[in-house]
Amino acid sequence: MKALEENPEGISKAEIVVGIPSYNEASFISFPTQQADKGLTKYYAERSAVIINCDNYSEDNTRQAFMQTATQTPKIYLSTEEGVRGKGNNLKNLFTKVVELSAKAVIVVDADLKSITPFWIRDLGNPLFDSYDFVAPLYVRHKYDGTLTTNIAYPLTRALYGRRIRQPINGDYGFSGRLAEKYAESEFWTETAANFGIDIWMTTTAMRNRVSVIQSFMGKPKIHKPKDQIVATVSVFRDVIETMFQLMGRFELFWKEVKWSRPTAVYGMNLGDPEVPPPVELDPKALAENFLAGLRVHRDEYRAILSPQNVNKLQEVAELPPAGFEFPTGLWAKVVYDFAVAYKRKLLPTEELIGVLLPLFYGKTWSFILETQPMNTQQVEEFIEDQCLQFEKAKPYLVERWFSE
Amino acid sequence: MPKILIVDDEEGIRMLYSMELQDEGYEVITLPDGKGLLEAVERERPDCIILDIKMRDYNGLDLLQEIRKKHYDMPVILNSAYSSFKVDLKAVAADYYVVKSSDLGELKDKLKVALEARIPDQ
Repeated sequence: MKALEENPEGISKAEIVVGIPSYNEASFISFPTQQADKGLTKYYAERSAVIINCDNYSEDNTRQAFMQTATQTPKIYLSTEEGVRGKGNNLKNLFTKVVELSAKAVIVVDADLKSITPFWIRDLGNPLFDSYDFVAPLYVRHKYDGTLTTNIAYPLTRALYGRRIRQPINGDYGFSGRLAEKYAESEFWTETAANFGIDIWMTTTAMRNRVSVIQSFMGKPKIHKPKDQIVATVSVFRDVIETMFQLMGRFELFWKEVKWSRPTAVYGMNLGDPEVPPPVELDPKALAENFLAGLRVHRDEYRAILSPQNVNKLQEVAELPPAGFEFPTGLWAKVVYDFAVAYKRKLLPTEELIGVLLPLFYGKTWSFILETQPMNTQQVEEFIEDQCLQFEKAKPYLVERWFSE
Repeated sequence: MPKILIVDDEEGIRMLYSMELQDEGYEVITLPDGKGLLEAVERERPDCIILDIKMRDYNGLDLLQEIRKKHYDMPVILNSAYSSFKVDLKAVAADYYVVKSSDLGELKDKLKVALEARIPDQ
């Protein structure tokens, strides 16, 4: 893939790079650019640095907004060719560029971030100069924020690859130049990784390469521009799930040998009291309706994908009274594993397969809301920890099904 | 025989855990606090550490940070009379957090899992 580049200061080397992927973010990109500049000048004044906007050939003057933001740090604008979209494509261009710049440390932050501070640059960057290769963010989040992470991405990646990375699909990371080379050279690249699957692709690739990983506590909630939650959730869901299933096929001999999981330490805990995250409203009624309608409409598909025992249990769950509804995590883990096996065996076209998983995800999310309603943040974290253990306990079921025949 | 290092400032706990874990077939070594912990870890190479949090002159959460700097993947179980330390982010670096109880069932279960946990090198 060819990248278009604007590098007015002719930067050819940089020890540290902040990358900001974007598509049509002209109204928002100045703020994270300014914060990145403050972080770089305050904490890395001794190191050569550059801020790179890796863009999707935006039509809204993102390039101008970025390049015209006043910074002490030099800037490079990098773009895919006209018509080429996808966050992953932006990052692929970034990987190539940071290898070319011989960067030691790379920090990536979203272009629409409103809560980023210079500390984020310090705390995503410092571990990279202290022997770590991958820094995942740890945000303060409302209990209903990130249900895809909570109910699938975190427990599944943890059970598969054995490393506890609490936020494996968020847009802000740090990674070393060494890992950037592995990313740039990776032969495994797909259409979903080129889009919203890029975050799980990066996290999984880091775990699979057994690089040293740490989590960095961001102190503040992640706040970005408002999005159409439903549209965003569905497209992210499709890309993330498909990328996870693709990577399962690619790394099957690795995860087969992983047993239980190991912790990942946390960096940056001296930020004072964390801020309270803004509340997230989810509509349990809509989730329930989508779940129950999905069960009716996709009955035949579920019979083809799920084991007979799981079909029966799912039916039992659907017959529970709404007030006492519960989608047991042990069953949910096996359902997710059944879908992964169905993906491997190509039982349905991919889009259809992931489409019929979505109503079940809504059902699990509905159950999660009901069960965690009276809980505080710490209690919810313990609840999530228990969910993860159930995915780990159910893993022999996956191994048996995945590798049979 | 897996070697377990118990770090706790209560002698009664050290004795109880030693007896119970030896009965389960583990080799047990103990330390009364964090003094010399890193040296002991280096010397003894335990398969797992059971680490108290609130000790007279030491904080188990800070000791855990020190252990992690040198021993990225050494299994460590935090074991405290208090559940309140669970909210401390430093506790995330532990394999498990078990609240002390007269019934050692949970501690033994978590110890077994921590010892079984495995991520292949390649």
